[in-house]
Amino acid sequence: MSTEKSENIKKLMFFLVPLAIFIVLVGFLLKALFSDPRTRESAAVDRILPQFALYDLMDDKKQWTQDDLVGEPFLLNVWGTWCITCDQELPYLTELRKQGVKIVGLYYDQEIDPDFGDTFDMQQLRIDVKDKLSRLGNPYQFNIFDNTRETLLDLGVTGAPETFLVDEKGVIRIHHLGDINPRVWEGKFAAKYAELKSASKNSDGGKL
Amino acid sequence: MVPQLGYFSLVIAMVLATMLAIFPLWGAKRGNVQLMNSAPTLALGAFFFTLLSYLALTYSFVVNDFTVSYVASHSNSLLPIRYRVTGVWGGHEGSFLLWVFIYSIWMAAVALRSKAIPLLIRARVLGVMGLVSLGFYLFILLMSNPFESLLPYFPVDGRDLNPLLQDFAMIIHPPLLYMGYVGLSVSFAFAIAALLTGKLDSTWAKWSRPWAVAAWVFLTLGITVGSWWAYYELGWGGWWFWDPVENASLMPWLITTALIHSFAVTEKRGIFKSWTVLLAITGFSLSLLGTFLVRSGIVVSVHAFASDPERGLFILGFLAVVIGASLTLYAIKATHMKSYVKYTMFSREVFLWGNNIILTVATLVVLLGTFLPMVHKELGLGSISIGSPFFSEIFGYLLVPFVALLGVTPLMRWKQNKLATLKKPVLIALGISIVVGFLMLTLTRSEVENMALLGVILAIWIMISTIQSVLAKKEVQQKGVAALSNMTGSEWAMVLGHMGFAVSIIGMVLTSSYGVEKDVRMHTGDTVVLAGYEFEFVQIKDITAENYTGHAAVVDVRYENEKVAHMVAEKRFYTVQRSAMTEAAVDAGITRDLFVALGEQFKDGSWALRVYHKPFIRWVWFGGLIIALGGLFAMGDKRYRAKRQSLIGRKENEIEQSDLVPEVQS
Repeated sequence: MSTEKSENIKKLMFFLVPLAIFIVLVGFLLKALFSDPRTRESAAVDRILPQFALYDLMDDKKQWTQDDLVGEPFLLNVWGTWCITCDQELPYLTELRKQGVKIVGLYYDQEIDPDFGDTFDMQQLRIDVKDKLSRLGNPYQFNIFDNTRETLLDLGVTGAPETFLVDEKGVIRIHHLGDINPRVWEGKFAAKYAELKSASKNSDGGKL
Repeated sequence: MVPQLGYFSLVIAMVLATMLAIFPLWGAKRGNVQLMNSAPTLALGAFFFTLLSYLALTYSFVVNDFTVSYVASHSNSLLPIRYRVTGVWGGHEGSFLLWVFIYSIWMAAVALRSKAIPLLIRARVLGVMGLVSLGFYLFILLMSNPFESLLPYFPVDGRDLNPLLQDFAMIIHPPLLYMGYVGLSVSFAFAIAALLTGKLDSTWAKWSRPWAVAAWVFLTLGITVGSWWAYYELGWGGWWFWDPVENASLMPWLITTALIHSFAVTEKRGIFKSWTVLLAITGFSLSLLGTFLVRSGIVVSVHAFASDPERGLFILGFLAVVIGASLTLYAIKATHMKSYVKYTMFSREVFLWGNNIILTVATLVVLLGTFLPMVHKELGLGSISIGSPFFSEIFGYLLVPFVALLGVTPLMRWKQNKLATLKKPVLIALGISIVVGFLMLTLTRSEVENMALLGVILAIWIMISTIQSVLAKKEVQQKGVAALSNMTGSEWAMVLGHMGFAVSIIGMVLTSSYGVEKDVRMHTGDTVVLAGYEFEFVQIKDITAENYTGHAAVVDVRYENEKVAHMVAEKRFYTVQRSAMTEAAVDAGITRDLFVALGEQFKDGSWALRVYHKPFIRWVWFGGLIIALGGLFAMGDKRYRAKRQSLIGRKENEIEQSDLVPEVQS
């Protein structure tokens, strides 16, 4: 009789294994829920900027390539007027621009398919952009319009806003997902930026 | 007015669901027939009011009712009507309403198609489904109300649908996957009901199996469509990226694949009961876990909705209660389960179980790979990332024993098998697959990659042994090919499922081993060689059409000096809309896809071109479709239905009432 009982307990232990695994998993999930997933590192870091040739958001005739960007450390900020979180960071980014940080915008917009009868109004977009930037502040030296989203894919962008810190040689040093606020800037960017800035000054005034 | 009615309907649906969660289960405990009989009516009622609510939200989208906060954030008066209808699931709240709605469809389907099941079980299955749905209704009403009003201050126009979701495949991908995810709740409810009743036998397996297969078919289709979309729309040139959310859909698929095979054993032989129940519970648990992943903001992904820890906390709490309680019940009940059926090590059931174990290990690998970065971080060890090299390697290792077993198992007999009878067919299959695989690659490829060779041999191994298993049937040996028409749905399902898997393997290994992608900078007249294909950039043409101007790159492709394709990749500039579009040229083929996209012009007059050569990539998705078709055959098996009906025209979730009629009843 007692052997059967101990047998049963052994069996119970065995069948409790899935529950045990599940409880451990829930523990971790609970902990992870309250930590920031965006601190995870990205595959783009330490890679050189991808090649591109894209037009200026506000000017069809002006074309930018990756070579036009490099020369001094700068922030490449992915944004769009449709993106709500981007609105939150625009004032602070403008603040940073006033402090002398070079910020280039990479405009992220929908891939419109006219075959489906989608309408897209570039004129309207420009008005929206101007309107937004005049209301919330314009942090950008200029904006690049990635209409095909290929460069965004090459950079591993998953949404907006995202910000890359690129050094004077064009190597991506930080890839940040989510908005930039004073806390993020101080905690994640400021030290690295200062370091890159002084390094680039030492190497011939920021010129290559 | 309509949005308020929609909300109100949802409240009524929840009240009905609450009654469904209480009365039938209570009735089952007290033996009260009347209470038990209320289950189907309550389930249908909950479905009806959820449907009304869903229609109300769709209506709000169609008429651009921007007083509804959700509509204002996910639509726009300029949005085409088709995207307004599908915009319903463009964001968190609406997609959860779709989730709840689909859940209620499954509930109604069970209510309608379970008349032949003993009342006690029927009441418990529906009761458990009601209990689970309660969590969903609470969540949507309390934390994700899609009808939240912006009155009195509402915007003139909406903010537009997330651009990424304005695509056709994206329209059908989420509902298909949801049908699969949510459909797993049925076999889960059957498992819990069986545990409560204490009767886990082959009849239980017979009732529950078609539901599991139905959900699995949807999962298979949903995953296949998602993979295809990623290829053609994102132009990433791949078919799987091991993104956390993709993984979240793969895990329940792997477990459900194991489940439907385990069901076969339980149904035929009455064994592995505790294992089958565990798989049924795990399958649904993993689909809940996937929901948590997507909606809690715990991972960063293209698929993830805006994060909100409060919502995450709710889902996690719900998860803990539902899964925790089920696994506890399982541990208690499984302890007392006994099997009296005898079988030896060398038998079909043990081999099937072996593959179940491999599928489970594969699921654990995906689970670990998805969560390890998070666990690592939470333990304070810093961030790590686990990407496709890790998964590809482990899956490579798992695939070999898995396929080896997969080939042999259909040739084996239940209970026990003599080694001698297997020796001949296995040696023949092995010989043919090695020789044919080797010849195929050496004759068609200049280099033989080990991974590709192994994959092709494994695929041929599956095909040959599947054919052997059909030929080995007594009937076929007596009557010849004519006997094929007598094969049951389940037998066809096995053949199609395994063949489809082999087709997919060929696509996967060949495209991974031999696929080439190149970003090149070319002047006209330049040639770039990719996998023996010479892509000559012949000329750039100015194009003008009614509504656009642009450039077209004419690329001639030659293979061994013979022209095989004339491709025109366009870059259009739509004058009215002032937007640029890339029209990539794809030369699709059975054995390879060629892909050319025109990029921007550089200052020196050269052009950026993106060129792909993807051998056999279409086989990946074609295999997926064959697998799903196999699932349909399994659902249509005569065993699950009294009268025969043509498969065509059958709605996906309309499993015949008679599907669930147990032969045992008579």
